[in-house]
Amino acid sequence: MTATTLTDRYVAAAMRTVPEKQRDDLGAELRVSIDDQVDARVENGEPHGDAERAVLTELGDPDKLAAGYTDRPLYVIGPKYYLDWWRLLKLLLAIVLPAAAFGVALAQTLAGEGIGTIIGTVVTTLFSVAVNLCFWTTLVFVIVERSGAGAGKDLTTAWTVDQLPEPTSRGVGFGDMVASLVFLALAAGAIIWDLTIGFIPAYVVPGEEPLSFLDPGLWPWWIAGLFVIMALEATLAVVVYLVGRWTPWLAVANAVLALAVAVPALILLSQGQLLNPEYFPTIIPEDAEKVAAIVSVVTGFGIAAIALWDIIDVSIKTVRARR
Amino acid sequence: MSETEALETHLQELRRGTAVLACLRLLETPGYGYGLLEELSARGFETDANTLYPLLRRLEKQGHLTSEWNTDEARPRKFYRTSAAGSRLAAALTADFHAIAAAIDSLPQED
Repeated sequence: MTATTLTDRYVAAAMRTVPEKQRDDLGAELRVSIDDQVDARVENGEPHGDAERAVLTELGDPDKLAAGYTDRPLYVIGPKYYLDWWRLLKLLLAIVLPAAAFGVALAQTLAGEGIGTIIGTVVTTLFSVAVNLCFWTTLVFVIVERSGAGAGKDLTTAWTVDQLPEPTSRGVGFGDMVASLVFLALAAGAIIWDLTIGFIPAYVVPGEEPLSFLDPGLWPWWIAGLFVIMALEATLAVVVYLVGRWTPWLAVANAVLALAVAVPALILLSQGQLLNPEYFPTIIPEDAEKVAAIVSVVTGFGIAAIALWDIIDVSIKTVRARR
Repeated sequence: MSETEALETHLQELRRGTAVLACLRLLETPGYGYGLLEELSARGFETDANTLYPLLRRLEKQGHLTSEWNTDEARPRKFYRTSAAGSRLAAALTADFHAIAAAIDSLPQED
């Protein structure tokens, strides 16, 4: 035989991925088996070429056959690790992506970038963080899958009944209502205190205008409006407690109230009417401008984040209550 | 998935272990790859070559089969033979198979 036959090529292809030690033995056995099968077909009157083709076609992809010989998995992550991989990936994405988005947006805003640049940077950052997170997490599991084949499930935890999640209470308890009311009362008290007395003792001078953190120009109408909304929020908290759960309409009302606070607050902030312009120049004459700019940006993000978190939190509770 | 495809899949699942059992029992008399393939098929255990060859390797690695090259004939072949551990495994599998068959027989009958 001078030219390489299809069988030669097949055996070579199959042995390519078999460990060196087993290669000669396996290759010889495979070749004999193929020859036996081909001979049997030739004895039945088939031409040699056709018989060889048919036998090799039946044996299939040589890499797959080799994987069968060497117990090599033909998947990236098998059933043993799939659930651990999936749970960890979901957890990481849920924690890291929002944190990264918020951090990047804050940093870009502080650096004084325009809204377009900020959105663009957040989107590209999120994309690359997500891709990296998925890739590296998966890579670790692929390595574990391939190296720990005989080591059992040591690296990951076996499931026990203790891991069953507590059924989340669908209703809204008394504690939720009390917490809402106490928070609203504290907030109202703090605003009044700020505008009438001021929080920095060194600047509390009897008989003089207090140095407030909020712009004194907000008094009386803006503050009155805020208190009306806060009263409505308190009412909502009580209604939700009485109904026993968040319904879609209550969730909409909650979102409207959250936006009714956040949107005017952000507009006032952007026009420089929310925070007292005298505040920082009075307490830190040097660097006042810089600090004031940073504080107003952080305040803006805080307002937006609280409103957003409130709306999302209530939406989730609403969806859960419907099940 | 069509009904015939589903049937194929389920039959494959059902027969999966029987090839191992048949190999262990047949190789009480030494045999080689292709010869075993023919004998399995003649006895009603249709097995693909690409399933059987890796299976023999795995059983050998587990110590249920032993092997040696026979160079007496013109074409040297690797002969497998069931080991003592393999015989015990075959006995256990056979007993279990009978138990399953009995359990199936005692299932409620169709009319």
